[in-house]
Amino acid sequence: MASDNAILVADDRTPASLRRKIQEARLPWIPLAILAIILFCAIFANLVSPHDPGEKDVFNKLQPPFQSAEHILGTDRLGKDMLSRLIYGARTMLQVTAPSMVVAILAGTVVGLVSGYSGRWVDSVLMRITDAVLGFPSILVALLIVTYLGTGVWNVMIAIAATQWARFARMIRGEVLAIRDRDFVVLAQIYGVSSGMIVWRHLFPNVINTLMVLTSVSVGQVILLEASLSFLGLGLRPGDPAWGILVAEGREFLTQAWWIALFPGILITVVVMAFNFFGDWLRDYLDPRLRRAG
Amino acid sequence: MTVYIARRLLEGFVTLVALSFVVFGSVHLTGDPARFLLPISNDHDEAVYEAQKKAYGLDKPFIIQYANFLYKAVQLDFGNSFTARRPVREILLERIPATVHLALSGMVLAIVIGVPLGIISAVKRDTILDRVCKTFAIFGMAAPQFWVAIMLIIVLAGYLDLLPAYGRGDTQGWLPEWSQIPDMIRHLILPAFVLALAIIAAIMRLARSAMLEVLDSDYVKFAQVKGMSDRVVIWKHAARNALIPVITFGGISLAGLLNGSVVVEVVFAWPGVGLMLLEGVLSNNFPQVEGAIMVSGAAYILTALIVDIMYGYADPRVRPN
Repeated sequence: MASDNAILVADDRTPASLRRKIQEARLPWIPLAILAIILFCAIFANLVSPHDPGEKDVFNKLQPPFQSAEHILGTDRLGKDMLSRLIYGARTMLQVTAPSMVVAILAGTVVGLVSGYSGRWVDSVLMRITDAVLGFPSILVALLIVTYLGTGVWNVMIAIAATQWARFARMIRGEVLAIRDRDFVVLAQIYGVSSGMIVWRHLFPNVINTLMVLTSVSVGQVILLEASLSFLGLGLRPGDPAWGILVAEGREFLTQAWWIALFPGILITVVVMAFNFFGDWLRDYLDPRLRRAG
Repeated sequence: MTVYIARRLLEGFVTLVALSFVVFGSVHLTGDPARFLLPISNDHDEAVYEAQKKAYGLDKPFIIQYANFLYKAVQLDFGNSFTARRPVREILLERIPATVHLALSGMVLAIVIGVPLGIISAVKRDTILDRVCKTFAIFGMAAPQFWVAIMLIIVLAGYLDLLPAYGRGDTQGWLPEWSQIPDMIRHLILPAFVLALAIIAAIMRLARSAMLEVLDSDYVKFAQVKGMSDRVVIWKHAARNALIPVITFGGISLAGLLNGSVVVEVVFAWPGVGLMLLEGVLSNNFPQVEGAIMVSGAAYILTALIVDIMYGYADPRVRPN
């Protein structure tokens, strides 16, 4: 058994060639490491953070950073530990952006596949709606949604999903248009394969690359949108650990406590940068044709 | 060209009607529009409630109400703001100049900073200068506007006390008095820069790649071979041609700037339409939200339309047939 597969394994599964493959891929190590650390902090926030993010150390309010081992990054006006709040902020970011991205991707993919494959009036109607959503700045659409649904995390998630699906729909539709007249699709049609099956088995696998690239390129934008909405006070309640809210709280103590606004902003910037770098890399790696599209 | 303009106009009109329908319709979707549109403190007084409903025409069929809404919206009549207790129209007319000033300054700043940096970056390709410019662009795209704004306020307005931290100063309306201009500019610098930051990055990248393409072309090489000085070749021959797409992009981004200013206006307490919109959202002040969204949306559609038509003149390839 082992000897049977030996040749195959030696071909591309041995550590040596795997290592070479990784080297050739020129993975963006620094962004990946940053994202891994943030993800780790988000998932294991309760284990990593030194304090509870809501715990108030009343004797050490507005303590500057790097002054005590107890609160390395200082405390806010209620004596809450900044480091702990930042770590829990990573979790909040993950909890808000991940589900809304998933919904946006699913909706966008379905609309794109259906629109591209069915063509005719279905395509026209769906693309008109898509263009209308794309045509307006995300923040305006999000504000409109929050106005009528009310503020809160769920509504911010709905707002994010509602503004992001359109980009996926447009891109996927374009991909489908490019492949739907190819031989393998036409042959499947001649064989009488159902439309649903063609979309699922023949078209979808061919747009996965595009989907992955677009996802990684969009994540940064989504994080910025989420942070802006929290900053504006439309999402979580004040006092909750979200990076945008922390910056908003820091705004009240501009000159007395610069650190409250500084650190969460740096984190947002670094995470968005890491995602942008990773997205650029993935785009070049998976599909050099897309290099100019982003 | 006439067909192209007519088609674009029609498209713009349809989008505008769609927007108005969404704005108007969403009030109805949420249930009882009277609850949203009438400033009633207690629903128990049925007689007052019904009377007000009638006075505002909320007892009429949906389509009549919609037509009514459109008719009034064209005149910027969105009723009274609940919190300010005066017509939304008045507030809009005060706020629109502030937002337009900010957006125009942002665009000018973005082009003035972005274009030269992009050109320099292309000419001095792969030098330290190029890297610094690139890093700046990457930062500009990733840093949240509200945070950059706050950091600049802390340093430039707080510690160094060079610029005002918020507001529009004494400026009101479209045109300030001559004596107010220095004060107006001082108040504009920080918000306009923050607003421009994300676009500076995009304009720089665009100018850089356009410039690289042009520098590689035969006529630029010919000019160089002919022995013309670098300065003339770069700024007269190459830059002029590279700039067409960049300027177009600048125009398109103006449309975004008019709206992207919500966050910036909030941080700098800039008395524009964006701030008015957020105030409305946070206080469930629906007439104010409707007014602000309709005006922002219409401005967006109109700017995009004008840019498209101008682009159609400049570049015949985008015209259909």
